[in-house]
Amino acid sequence: MSAETLQVLADVGKGKSTRSVLRVIILALIAGASIASRLFSVIRFESIIHEFDPWFNFRATKYLVANGFYNFWDWFDDRTWHPLGRVTGGTLYPGLMVTSGAIWHALRALTIPVDIRNVCVLLAPAFSGLTAIAAYLLTNEMTTYNSAGLLAALFMGIAPGYISRSVAGSYDNEAIAIFLLVFTFYLWIKALKQGSMLWGAFCALFYGYMVASWGGYAFITCLLPLHAFVLILMGRYSTRLYVSYTTWYALGTLASMQIPFVGFLPVKTSEHMPALGIFGFLQLLAFLDYVRSAVPSRQFQTFLWLFAGGIFVLSLAVLVIATSAGVIAPWSGRFYSLWDTGYAKIHIPIIASVSEHQPTAWPAFFFDLNLLIFVFPVGVYLCFQELADEHVFIIVYAVFGSYFAGVMVRLMLTLTPVVCVAGAIAISTILNNYLIAKTPTEEDQQAAEAAEKKGSKSGLKSATKPVVGIYGLWSKSLMVAAMAVYLLIFVMHCTWVTSNAYSSPSVVLASRMPDGSQHIIDDYREAYQWLRQNTKEDAKIMSWWDYGYQIGGMADRPTLVDNNTWNNTHIATVGKAMSSREEVSYPIMRQHEVDYVLVVFGGLLGYSGDDINKFLWMVRIAEGIWPDEVSERAFFTPRGEYRVDGEATETMKNSLMYKMSYYNFNNLFPPGQAVDRMRQARLPEVGPTLSTLEEAFTSENWIIRIYKVKDLDNVGRDHISATAFEKGLKKKKAAKKRGPRVLRVD
Amino acid sequence: MLRSTSPLLSLFAFLLCWGAALVSAVSITGNRLLAIFDEVGEKENYTKFLGDLESRGFQITYETPKSESLALFHLGERAYDHVIFFPTKTKGLGPNLTPQILVNFLNAKGNILQTLSSTTTTPNSLVSLLAELDITLPAERTGLVVDHFSYDALSAPETHDVLALPPPAPVRNDISPLFSTGAPKDALLAFPHGVGAVLGPREHLTPILRAPKTAYSYNPKEQAEVLDATDLFAAGQQLSLATAFQAINSARLVLLGSAEMLQDKWFLAEVAAGPNGKPVKTFNREFAKRVSAWAFQELGVLRVNWIEHHLNEVSAVNKSNPHIYRVKNDVTYTISLSEYAYNKWSSFSLPANDVLQLEFSMLSPFHRLPLSLDKAHSTPEASAYTVSFKLPDQHGIFNFKVNYKRPFFTNIEEKNTVSVRHMAHDEWPRSFVISGAWPWIAGIGATISGWVVFVALWMYSAPTDKKMGNKKTN
Repeated sequence: MSAETLQVLADVGKGKSTRSVLRVIILALIAGASIASRLFSVIRFESIIHEFDPWFNFRATKYLVANGFYNFWDWFDDRTWHPLGRVTGGTLYPGLMVTSGAIWHALRALTIPVDIRNVCVLLAPAFSGLTAIAAYLLTNEMTTYNSAGLLAALFMGIAPGYISRSVAGSYDNEAIAIFLLVFTFYLWIKALKQGSMLWGAFCALFYGYMVASWGGYAFITCLLPLHAFVLILMGRYSTRLYVSYTTWYALGTLASMQIPFVGFLPVKTSEHMPALGIFGFLQLLAFLDYVRSAVPSRQFQTFLWLFAGGIFVLSLAVLVIATSAGVIAPWSGRFYSLWDTGYAKIHIPIIASVSEHQPTAWPAFFFDLNLLIFVFPVGVYLCFQELADEHVFIIVYAVFGSYFAGVMVRLMLTLTPVVCVAGAIAISTILNNYLIAKTPTEEDQQAAEAAEKKGSKSGLKSATKPVVGIYGLWSKSLMVAAMAVYLLIFVMHCTWVTSNAYSSPSVVLASRMPDGSQHIIDDYREAYQWLRQNTKEDAKIMSWWDYGYQIGGMADRPTLVDNNTWNNTHIATVGKAMSSREEVSYPIMRQHEVDYVLVVFGGLLGYSGDDINKFLWMVRIAEGIWPDEVSERAFFTPRGEYRVDGEATETMKNSLMYKMSYYNFNNLFPPGQAVDRMRQARLPEVGPTLSTLEEAFTSENWIIRIYKVKDLDNVGRDHISATAFEKGLKKKKAAKKRGPRVLRVD
Repeated sequence: MLRSTSPLLSLFAFLLCWGAALVSAVSITGNRLLAIFDEVGEKENYTKFLGDLESRGFQITYETPKSESLALFHLGERAYDHVIFFPTKTKGLGPNLTPQILVNFLNAKGNILQTLSSTTTTPNSLVSLLAELDITLPAERTGLVVDHFSYDALSAPETHDVLALPPPAPVRNDISPLFSTGAPKDALLAFPHGVGAVLGPREHLTPILRAPKTAYSYNPKEQAEVLDATDLFAAGQQLSLATAFQAINSARLVLLGSAEMLQDKWFLAEVAAGPNGKPVKTFNREFAKRVSAWAFQELGVLRVNWIEHHLNEVSAVNKSNPHIYRVKNDVTYTISLSEYAYNKWSSFSLPANDVLQLEFSMLSPFHRLPLSLDKAHSTPEASAYTVSFKLPDQHGIFNFKVNYKRPFFTNIEEKNTVSVRHMAHDEWPRSFVISGAWPWIAGIGATISGWVVFVALWMYSAPTDKKMGNKKTN
């Protein structure tokens, strides 16, 4: 290219309107890239709903589309939590389903016939494009560099921390909630900066949408008042803050109370108390501010401030008393586990049993954020440099986001936006300094020195700025090249992580054949399809709660417990049935009208996510309710080992879960050679026997095993003797038993 | 058994069944009867009993256990509907009548009438079968019941091994007296050379005929001289002479301790209870008829014709058997029952002292209510029982459950599952209906009007002084 064309290009870039067009194009490309990188899962596998919770959301969306909004609102689901049922319409966040329902109807209105499944599968990528744009807007509020916004949009679009929850098919609440989170923050900053009631109302509107979409809305509910509180402590109370905060709080709380699942929680639970408290406190401050402007005395003003502080402390005390008296619900278990990571393990095993509630491992930060985790502190530091109201927000968000992300893996998601914003600020500052900063000429320097001398006379040192510039072309290009390489590595890392770690549907397992080709293990769907085709429409399936949503979604059969986990006792009942002897389990299964029991077994394939590995959680949860009947200790050998081989404890060997997992497993191997490949354990020569259940189905790789619960014996025997009789074993002579005669009383 | 959701459909099915009943005029489960003898010639002893059965419509096939062709199942279906075992001398019954096959026969709703005799030992196969049902026979597979007080003075004045007993009254007062109704006051049953059995506590078992308090069982071969108390098999009312067993699927097995009482000889004989008794003709023929009729599903057979439940509210749509109700709905449940006797269905009336109950249950019953006779929906062929109640204030998947399991009646366990949903968002009373909400409504009104007044004042009150106005806006 000749120098002239370069010049032309450079000139084109200078015009203001051209820049806007460029920005729009770049943003569109970023949105396109963020959507495209989320399609790995569709290309690798197929257009399928992923994992567990998305299956419920998908089922709910289908119900919404089929029955209309009001039926969905009042939906009583009698196919889950048998026999309790679930008031689904009142216990879910409808935002996701309503959004995809609306999109579906809109597309139909445009005469584009689309399967609702495809809307659901592609919703998360579509919203991630919007999230990128929202990140652009938010960052633009922080800095004057336009490049920062674009970088933030790019980071947001491809950061693995966000992609992990928003690949195509990951149809979960987070899919739209992160967009709403970022956009609500943007609107909040906008409202705060302008002191605008309109922007505050928009903020409340999107906050309402957020509440309708995700339980994580509490993060906003706590972060905004915290920001306001920090501003007040910094002495930055202003009418802008008053207007924006009160507008947001009043309208936002009203909006949030329209969601049945939330209802009166905003005035009843501790999580929402900071927002209410700051709202009241702001009223007080506004009043004092007015009084202060009316009353001149300095002493009186000090008194007023003390008065305000006193009221604050007093209301805090009232809050504490009201909480202990039970008027306000105390913090829920999930929140306690945010402060004390060991809390859930001791008190609420059901929360601790979820892998995404575990504390984050350090490598996860690098894995999910890569380069950004290094430049993130730099960005926060740069915020300190300017420290306007909006920068305080970034700082507060950064501090709390980092803490929560460290405590719970899943909250990495809420940290990602602020990391992207702060990282973009840092990198764009670096790039701006090295790319744009003009090399100061001699004259500039002299002028600056002259100004400094003049300035020293006037005594205002801060009014003058020392001339800082990068003179050497080498240093400039080196730095820029380094950053470019880092950014390229970041993009490559993100692509690699997305394609390898976050695109598996987990309904379908992929493995590699010896020749490197991909082999799909499709046991889950095989088993669910079997259930769908071979069992009665209302056959109740008992399984551990992890598979409840999938059974409901894929097999369309009622389940006892599912991933909603709202009723700990019911889950503990299933845990007890799984961890007890057959004689104990059978009456439980009869009472709950269980027809089939489904277990996941990884011993043949070496699949680690199976029920034997989760078994201790079932035991713990059951022990929480029936400490006398189920004991975790009894599942460990005297030396404290958790074993499944010949050394396993009697309790373990007699538990229903063990029996169902290893039933007939021996027959696959030569006698005495049965090996559990997952736990590398050699199994005893004689396998377990089952008398109250009969094997109904075992999938190709033995991952899913389904058992049918036998009816009561027709002639009134217990199942063990009935099974023995079937096998032709002679009954022991009753005459041999001595002792008092048992008389029959009619 | 038939049941259906719509009364019309059930009526159709009922007519169909009625037509089928007219053709066979016999047991509702079929008329193919297999009689097993040691030798087929022995049936000459039972001509009257077998003739009675044939006259009631049974087609009797006579076989011996040795027969190669004997099979209870053909291609997985029952080849016979009922089986009678007469005493056989063989130790086992061969591969065609193993206890497993016999239990499967019961599971397939086949009925068995088994007779014993003190003169022959019971085959192993049958003893194993009885052991599965919690019925125990004496240790050597034989025994003899004697009673030194109520023996038949005419035929066994010395040996006391022919018992003369009154027709059996029900063991509890809420059991239908199927086997003794209509008997003459002084009627006597002859129970010659019988074996008594001991019953376990299983609720499927009911003694039809219990031994008198003074009877006992012993083994004439080994215990002829002296009977040690510890070797006593059983005595008194613990000895069941005729036993009814009904499986969960209502398949029936009757164990009759004395085969001889079915013989023509004892149908015609006269007996006298004890040395001073007055000789009377035996009640055996009628008793045999009733026992066999019960065993072969001709007596004590109940049928659920239809079940109907509906919303019982003023504004309700009149829909039968909806799948979903709301909490605190008023509902009505009706069940129609018929009872079969020999050849016709008639309306079922509950035994005295007994009630039919409806459970409305989820995990455990929330309601357990007595059903009362509903004359409006009853016919001579069917009686309807009904109850109306308010559903509990608990949503979930509930069952209307009638669990009527009584001795000598077909088991009735009817479960109709309905969902009970919560209140929909528009089903609550409006706020202005609730008096407790009035202060709040008044508060809203006050706030709105106050705000309107304030805005009006604000808009129409111009600042009096420019200076003051400036001061205020700052």
